[in-house]
Amino acid sequence: MASTAPALGAFPSPYSIPTPPGCEGWEEMYPYYALFAEPRRAKDENRFWFWNSMHFPLPMPAFDVICIDSPYQAVGSWQNRVFAVPPAMGIDYRCVNGYIYISGNPVTDPEKIGERAEFFQRRAGHYYQNWPELYGKWRSKMEALIAELVELSVPDLPEYESDEVALGEDRNTAFYELLDAYGRVLRMGDLMWQHHFEFLLLGYGAYATFAELVKSNLPDVPDQHIAQMVAGIDVILFRPDAELRRLAALAIDTGVDGAFVQGHTPAEIDSELEQSEAGRAWLAELQQVKDPWFNMATGDGLYHYYGSWLDDPSIPYASLIGHVAALRSGEEIARPTAEIEHERERLAAGYRELLDKDTRPAFDDLLALSRIVFPYVEEHKFFCDYWFLTRWWNKIREFGALLAGHGFLQDAEDVFQLSRYEVASALDELVLTWATGGDALGPAHWPPIVARRKELLKRLADWTPPPALGVTPEAITDPMTIMLWGVTTDRVKEWARQQEGGTELTGAAASPGQVEGVARVVRSPQELADVRDGEILVCGSTSPAWAPIFSKISATVTDVGGVMSHAAIVCREYALPAVVGTGRATSQIRTGQTIRVDGSAGVVTLLERDGG
Amino acid sequence: MAYSSPLETLRRGDEPRFGAKSANLGELLAAKIPVPPGFAIAAGADESVFSDIAGHYRQLGDDPPVAVRSSAVGEDSAEATFAGQYESYLWVHGAEAICDAVRRCWASASSTRASAYRERLGGGAVEMGVTVQLMVDAAVAGVMFTCNPASGDRSMVAINASWGLGLAVVGGEVNPDDYLVSKVTGEILREQRGSKAIEYIAGAVRRDVPPDRRDAPCLTPEQIAELVDLARRVERHFGGPQDIEWALDGEGNPFVLQTRPVTGLKKRERGTVATDAMSLVMKQFGANAK
Repeated sequence: MASTAPALGAFPSPYSIPTPPGCEGWEEMYPYYALFAEPRRAKDENRFWFWNSMHFPLPMPAFDVICIDSPYQAVGSWQNRVFAVPPAMGIDYRCVNGYIYISGNPVTDPEKIGERAEFFQRRAGHYYQNWPELYGKWRSKMEALIAELVELSVPDLPEYESDEVALGEDRNTAFYELLDAYGRVLRMGDLMWQHHFEFLLLGYGAYATFAELVKSNLPDVPDQHIAQMVAGIDVILFRPDAELRRLAALAIDTGVDGAFVQGHTPAEIDSELEQSEAGRAWLAELQQVKDPWFNMATGDGLYHYYGSWLDDPSIPYASLIGHVAALRSGEEIARPTAEIEHERERLAAGYRELLDKDTRPAFDDLLALSRIVFPYVEEHKFFCDYWFLTRWWNKIREFGALLAGHGFLQDAEDVFQLSRYEVASALDELVLTWATGGDALGPAHWPPIVARRKELLKRLADWTPPPALGVTPEAITDPMTIMLWGVTTDRVKEWARQQEGGTELTGAAASPGQVEGVARVVRSPQELADVRDGEILVCGSTSPAWAPIFSKISATVTDVGGVMSHAAIVCREYALPAVVGTGRATSQIRTGQTIRVDGSAGVVTLLERDGG
Repeated sequence: MAYSSPLETLRRGDEPRFGAKSANLGELLAAKIPVPPGFAIAAGADESVFSDIAGHYRQLGDDPPVAVRSSAVGEDSAEATFAGQYESYLWVHGAEAICDAVRRCWASASSTRASAYRERLGGGAVEMGVTVQLMVDAAVAGVMFTCNPASGDRSMVAINASWGLGLAVVGGEVNPDDYLVSKVTGEILREQRGSKAIEYIAGAVRRDVPPDRRDAPCLTPEQIAELVDLARRVERHFGGPQDIEWALDGEGNPFVLQTRPVTGLKKRERGTVATDAMSLVMKQFGANAK
């Protein structure tokens, strides 16, 4: 992605970005290596960096930095050291005012590229040839890891150790157990990220190859048609909502649907259901469904505050209320899988017929391969980003609760204001003073730091990061940047043009249709509650776990994402127009502003200068 | 050998005598595609053919208006048809007037491109056939390609449409409404509203379009779907991308007025050479280097 011949710099130098007022010292939240530091100025200033708003739309809390480090360690390991993708090593990241910018490391030496190609062909070939078997093993690995995480307990620090510790064999004291548990929970996180990227590059790659074959022959084929030809029919991501639909039907069949009143809280609905036998039976059925299907995240999982449906049942309950109401009014709410499948085959046959005869075998093979690999692309999100990660944050919260219990923090949640090393350090002092009986400094040391950082994050959230920094590349050639982020040469040109302002944003045409309406800019899942019926959702990126929102809104616009992003997948599912990957929708559009979304052309037009 | 024939009896094999336009229309009629009826005059005919014209004309109705157009003969016919489209006489009434228009078609054939043509074909009699076709009193008309002419994408139908007879679009006198439609799903993928300031109405009379209709869309989604369906059928029949002139009558019934192969279509660079899937995947990752 770095260019050898930098074009005119439309984007600011990463070294020229001022610190927003009152945010002095933000750097203390981040590792030294995450900063645009003076010693590497000459190199960093001459690279192209883009804001990874797809994964990191908000300023990073200190602990959450682990969700930058681990994924980039993992993706780089697979891409660069295992598969040796010939032209691209891994991804560097830097933090500016709490926001994350990334830049790939290209391989330019033709000899090295050739050397890597040999590794890649052999190793990637093995994965493609044995995909279903390897993916089956992968799922077992993930399920085992999640079970291990759930079982891990955060030991308490007792006044006296138990007799078992004192008199038994093979025992450990709480000091060791606690530090070990913390170390293990961090390592489990690393392992999850390792698993997360094992198949991802190859999965996207097969899909991208199929897309390229179609586009090189039929250049105007909408991206969403390509995605539709490949998309799975019965994917895990749709399962949680499918279960809710089933439960809604069950509520009606057993006559307990009266409990699902618009505006009632989950607790109110539950207590209403407790009143009757049928209601209790329904609750028992819900209990069966919850594990694993309520392990859906309320956001895309990379921040600690994105909990699961288990943590915040208001989201699935809102869906239940909606489904019950729809069923009562005679609507068909089941996912029309037969239709979706029919449409997918119709598209595939239609496009195939338009290709030259000698291109059809490659089309058939690539489509078949894409369909084999795509379930992983769609399903890893559920296992890793939603199920594992929401549980994992909760495990970190338990350490936070322990620290809060000993006065090191005011609240368990404050643990996320400390880096993972600082948490280790606080735990070290905690077990030290627990063991010695001495006075801990932590209760005086940590709370002011936490308070300062909360204030910093609040102020940094008001700052608008530019979509890119550094030099404008002549062309984006890095296959990973294109495949995973949808950042193409055209997209970067568009960002550069938008630096000069304008009333039109362009992105990928992700889901067809045209809609005009009032924008609602959502930068965190907490703000989802503000969304009103018929509004156009404008956000960094979305998660399919936001399901209830999609039945409310009329269209979606995101900053980053391609046609395979989750916003795109879900919008097609809900038949909502969507434009994804606009680069700066959340910073250019204000809540209340009237905008037009053309999901067929990939254009968002700002129809009035500002919101009311 | 007859020098005139009803359109519906002509087939591809008649092209050397009757010209591409007439032969193609005969093919379309045989394929049950809605084409206004008419008759054709073969190349090489002389004025003795005029005695047949009144009979053919009577078959078309009670003194109906017709279009008289040249129908070039020869290998180069696609291009020649294009050049010849300016030798179109619209809204011609009566056998006398038709004979006169036919004469003028012949004359144009021997003037414009004709010298090079005649050399190739060995000189002598006129090499230009003539198509006589019932006029469609078009409410809306235009041109459509069974591909995107800009990109060469064959999964698209590109439609240009404007009010009145197709003359306004063909002659470039308006900014037509412009649609790009997926041939596979029928979705309208691009829609650009034109500014249609003039139209040709019955009698081929040119007039200003009232301001309130200029920027209004002249096709409904249903009509677009019908046209796309028609485009698909025409293309399938000829087995290659077609450039089609069409019209909707006052009731909205679609007609094909003429069709010809798309010429000069941008040859797509075969960036992706058909090969086995795994090599293509390797190339995607830049792993095709040896």
